Amino acid sequence: MKKTETRNQKVTIYKPNQRHELGFFETWAVMSKNIVNSRELIWQLFKRDFFASYKKSFLGITWIFVAPIMGIVSWVFLNMTGMLRPGDVGIPYPAYVLVGTSMWGLFMGFFNSAKETLSAGQSLVMQVSYSHEALLFKQTAQHLANFLITFFVNIIILIVFKVIPSWEIIFFPLVILPLFFLGAAIGLIASMISIVAVDISRIINMGMGLLMYVTPIIYSDKVNNVTVQSIIEWNPLTYLVCSARDIIIYGRLYHPMGYLICFILSFILFMISWRLFFVSEDKIIERMV
Amino acid sequence: MAYGIVDLSKNLFGIKSDSSKLRKDEFWALENISFDLKRGGILGIIGVNGSGKTTLLRLLSGIFPPDTGEITIKGKIGALISVGAGFHPHMTGRENVYLNGTILGMSRAEIGSKFDDIVNFAELGDFLNAPVSTYSSGMRVRLGFSIALHIEPDIMIIDEILAVGDMGFKTKCYNAIEKITQKAAVIFISHYMPQIARISTEILVLNYGRSVYQGNNVHEGIEFYTSQFEKSQASVSGSGKARIKKLKLYSDGDMSHALDPFRLQYLDNLYVEIWFVLDPGIRDAIISLAFYDKEMRGGAECYSNNSNFSIINHGDIIRSRVKFEKLPLNPGSYSLTVTISDQDQKEIFLKYHAIRDIQVIGSFIGFSSVQLQAEWSDI
Repeated sequence: MKKTETRNQKVTIYKPNQRHELGFFETWAVMSKNIVNSRELIWQLFKRDFFASYKKSFLGITWIFVAPIMGIVSWVFLNMTGMLRPGDVGIPYPAYVLVGTSMWGLFMGFFNSAKETLSAGQSLVMQVSYSHEALLFKQTAQHLANFLITFFVNIIILIVFKVIPSWEIIFFPLVILPLFFLGAAIGLIASMISIVAVDISRIINMGMGLLMYVTPIIYSDKVNNVTVQSIIEWNPLTYLVCSARDIIIYGRLYHPMGYLICFILSFILFMISWRLFFVSEDKIIERMV
Repeated sequence: MAYGIVDLSKNLFGIKSDSSKLRKDEFWALENISFDLKRGGILGIIGVNGSGKTTLLRLLSGIFPPDTGEITIKGKIGALISVGAGFHPHMTGRENVYLNGTILGMSRAEIGSKFDDIVNFAELGDFLNAPVSTYSSGMRVRLGFSIALHIEPDIMIIDEILAVGDMGFKTKCYNAIEKITQKAAVIFISHYMPQIARISTEILVLNYGRSVYQGNNVHEGIEFYTSQFEKSQASVSGSGKARIKKLKLYSDGDMSHALDPFRLQYLDNLYVEIWFVLDPGIRDAIISLAFYDKEMRGGAECYSNNSNFSIINHGDIIRSRVKFEKLPLNPGSYSLTVTISDQDQKEIFLKYHAIRDIQVIGSFIGFSSVQLQAEWSDI
């Protein structure tokens, strides 16, 4: 009886560089399995951080509605000054900007969620051994939950501006997938870099901020300046962010071919970055002490 | 920083970094540590701060991997590196049980079935539905420990967390630890030697990442540790109206009184000679000798007036000899503190704390600082 008991017991072995020994494709299988096994942990942490963040606030969850409304007010104001010459975008400019910036926010949210994968759980990471991939998904879920609420507010505001979203909006969840892949890919790398080299992570952050201005979301893509035009064309986010926006307001993808290429590249980048995270994180964690 | 980037870039291109060699300015946090522990065994780890104790526990619980060597663990690990990992202060005790339980690797159903046991053990009462931020540190420890205990691990790893909490609960925890060793092995860190002595079956003394003592003679291990690393900090206080000129210790057994710490056998006669001066204005005084153990608890005291001995100031150096017949101090390490005060003990002229370290040699008897011998007979 005792023998079978011993045989049934899980044997854990810790060795140096264990994760390197896993094959390139095997790592993704292991990581996916870890995520599935951690679903309860993801849910518990999500609950903790999502609901608890509004627990001690007077306005509570209504805070989520305040941000998009303030956003639209500022764009309407800027538009009234006549300072902005966005070009013809086919719909009222504030509505155009609102959807565009919220898609940009979605992308940045994916990036930031991934970037905080290690730091958000810093205290936990040093105390308990668990699959840290779970934190990426918890962070992303939290971001999506916040996004979803603002998304509905935005749709209502669109209707106020007499822009009726197209029925193709049902493809929206699919269309934003590459935004997640790209955001998480850069974010996971930034997450590790932020622990070993703070300077580089600051540069990444600033670069991400600048990217918004070379993506046609607060202006139309018909820019007269040739340099700007070519930057926009080479910027993958132009295709990814604008497609997410266009599927809602125009019911089509922005340059389907460009979008598709960026989709595939983002996916590959994500897989590489995920693998890198998996083999490197334990070395990185040693530096968090 | 540079090494971190090098490692990260190497990983990017799939190059393994050789972790078995040190680079410039690196050092081994732990080196050549090796032990086996079976079910029923309790390994106590002691060492000064920074000796690698927590790092060892983190390696064992899989928080980060070793750079060389191998760790093999059979069964479920329950690690309590710090109590209440992930507790959210704004959530209630009830919600935190589920949260913390999940973090420690229990399923929701498992927590549900053990919920009542967890809460009962933690003795939270009505606080269960209050936010954890309103808990005292003792209550937090109780709840956190209770959750970890109910994981029912095969290997339980406990960092020094039972320092907080009232005595009653501590006792309960140590009893619980002893109880789970029927099914599990326990590895724990403590700075509290009596607890290590009471429950450990094996001991590991770490110093700068190396094992300096290892074995199942726990008392010898603790003795080794305290004599090597826990030198008492001597300090002087008081009004300064008395000054010690000389202090000499000797025993009948061994005359090598210059050794530090001073050593004598259990139940040997101890002699203390004190040469001191009192300020001219002071007529008389009281001297007390106190033996403190390594936890700085007073183990035994001796007052000159209680032995009907009076100390009169005649202006010259006063020389007193104190003889302790068959000193019954428990084998272990002590420090001697000399206090010179006025008759009412209102004014302390001089308190010389830890003037000498004393080591009582002998085999293990019991836990109390004084081990009396008496005449036993049948009646």
